Amino acid sequence: MYEGVNASEGIGIGTVMVAVDPDLSFEAHQVDDPAAEKERYQAALSVFCEKTQAQADHMKETVGEAEAEIMSGHILLAQDPGMTDQINGMIDGGSCAEQALVETSTMFENMFLSMDDEMFRLRAADIADIRTGILAELLGKEVIDLSVLPADTVIAVHDLTPSMTATIDHEHVAGIVTETGGRTSHSAIIARALEIPAVLSVPGICSALANGMTCIVDGTKGVVVPDPDEETLNGYRERAAALVAEKEALEAFRGKESVTADGIKKIVAANIGSPDDVEAALAHDAEAIGLFRSEFLFMDAKELPSEEDQFKAYRTVAEALKGAPVIIRTLDVGGDKAIPYLNMQEEENPFMGYRAVRYCLDNADQYKVQLRALLRASAFGDVKIMVPLVTCVEEIRQVKVLVEECKAELDAQGVAFNRDIEVGIMMETPAAANIADLLAKESAFFSIGTNDLTGYTMAADRGNDRVGYLYSWYYPAVLRSIKNIIESGVAAGIMVGMCGEAAADPLLDPLLISWGMEEFSMSAPSILRARKTISQWTKAEADELAERALACATAEEVKAVLEAAAR
Amino acid sequence: MVSDKATLVNPQGLHMRPAGLFASTMGKFASDVTIVAPDKEVNGKSPMALMAAGIPCGTEVEVRADGPDEQEALAAAIELIKSGLGE
Repeated sequence: MYEGVNASEGIGIGTVMVAVDPDLSFEAHQVDDPAAEKERYQAALSVFCEKTQAQADHMKETVGEAEAEIMSGHILLAQDPGMTDQINGMIDGGSCAEQALVETSTMFENMFLSMDDEMFRLRAADIADIRTGILAELLGKEVIDLSVLPADTVIAVHDLTPSMTATIDHEHVAGIVTETGGRTSHSAIIARALEIPAVLSVPGICSALANGMTCIVDGTKGVVVPDPDEETLNGYRERAAALVAEKEALEAFRGKESVTADGIKKIVAANIGSPDDVEAALAHDAEAIGLFRSEFLFMDAKELPSEEDQFKAYRTVAEALKGAPVIIRTLDVGGDKAIPYLNMQEEENPFMGYRAVRYCLDNADQYKVQLRALLRASAFGDVKIMVPLVTCVEEIRQVKVLVEECKAELDAQGVAFNRDIEVGIMMETPAAANIADLLAKESAFFSIGTNDLTGYTMAADRGNDRVGYLYSWYYPAVLRSIKNIIESGVAAGIMVGMCGEAAADPLLDPLLISWGMEEFSMSAPSILRARKTISQWTKAEADELAERALACATAEEVKAVLEAAAR
Repeated sequence: MVSDKATLVNPQGLHMRPAGLFASTMGKFASDVTIVAPDKEVNGKSPMALMAAGIPCGTEVEVRADGPDEQEALAAAIELIKSGLGE
């Protein structure tokens, strides 16, 4: 089994075809007749452009307008007068067309690679693709052709270029595996548009796979299983069939409101880790962002991200949501999340140590940079600030003092922000659960972080095999904590949501409905399923089930009651 | 040679689509078209050069046109930039 980037979801099972790049090596030589050589280059360029135009036309019909534009862009770049002038200049100086093309295009490629903006860096891949195409024409070689394939083919290729994807015989492709590329590469975008399961960036996969071999591509988990045994194969076949059936049934909930069977309005939101995840969240029909983890900004950096960089990231998400709520969690450092440049000391017990709001309040100047960036972004959408790991009233009060200081500073500078920005608490400690009534008076909203709440309440690390069985929200201790948090929030008239994995648990959802929870936030692919679960329960039915579940003494009994009632 | 100024309003600067539109429109004119940003000059008919220049949103650029149809080329260029290059 091999692991890679889960770039396009779904399960594909098929026969492997390893596509090998053509040999485009050549001997650089001096030319005696530059005029003829320039003509040879122009001829190759024209053929390349004709073929690319045909691919773009084909793509417009099979994939879509936006994807076809990538190919039209290739023609524009290939005919770029800046590049052509330089190539002609080199040929005049005696270089052969191949050499002139490779050197010139590599120079442009490197220029794009050195740019800060991801979007420009992607252009480097386009230039490499154009170079391959024109070079193949010059050398009379065929580039990889995926336009006619046998049914159920799993394509293994070093790098799936836009031109390959353009002509791909997509109805016969079961899955795609590559050795390079990320979630934002063209290959990933096109694989998702074509709904072909894809796992990218699997090192050495082309040598590990052989033509004719059966292979499973699990694009949801990012796993490739070459030559599976019968049992594995059958397991995946069942999962694939179930996935397809479920997906089709869930489409009925797209674009609909999230309401209980008796018409109580709920919000189903997405958890995201970076602005890049917004697209998928919206594609899965998220109504809001219930948790935006801000750590990515800090973990991907070599030093503290500036107020401007943070502002840009938060603003991008706020604008993309067009006025729908975006709950951004302030830096949750420590515990299992280390950030090297913060030089935090190693601790005996990091989960009970210097982390999250504790670190932030102790480094108030750093924290205020983030708070100011959040306030500034609030001028561009419904941004809400969420404070992690609160255990006492003092902490949320101190954060609010800092927020007020930041507001005064921004006012002094004449910078716009939402004066009524909500500051809420991520409820994830037993301490917070016990004083939920007191915290509700200080907080604009609650969002229950069930991952840490379960771990701290049961004093069990889910990663520890010997105690992992205790990590379950079906234990009465955890259920009572969740109930108390929701009911305290509802009594105080504030919004209560949940952003832990439990929010997407169809067994737990009726209990959350019974206690009055309003917002369910989860990873994007779970959204439609959660909306369906919510639609299947009335408040009265959920109340009856909740009463029975709370009467149970053990997690096993709770789970049995919930499973028996599952819809 | 004629010239005029306009401010780039594209939020993500000159990426593929706007640069492509600008260069292909300018390609229809016989005149040479140059974009002058504060610290660089680039060929207005080259989408690669336009993108590689990395001119950010909000920059005031000068457009120079030189050739038989320079007036028309300049007018078209200024209007395109002001209108947000199709975005």
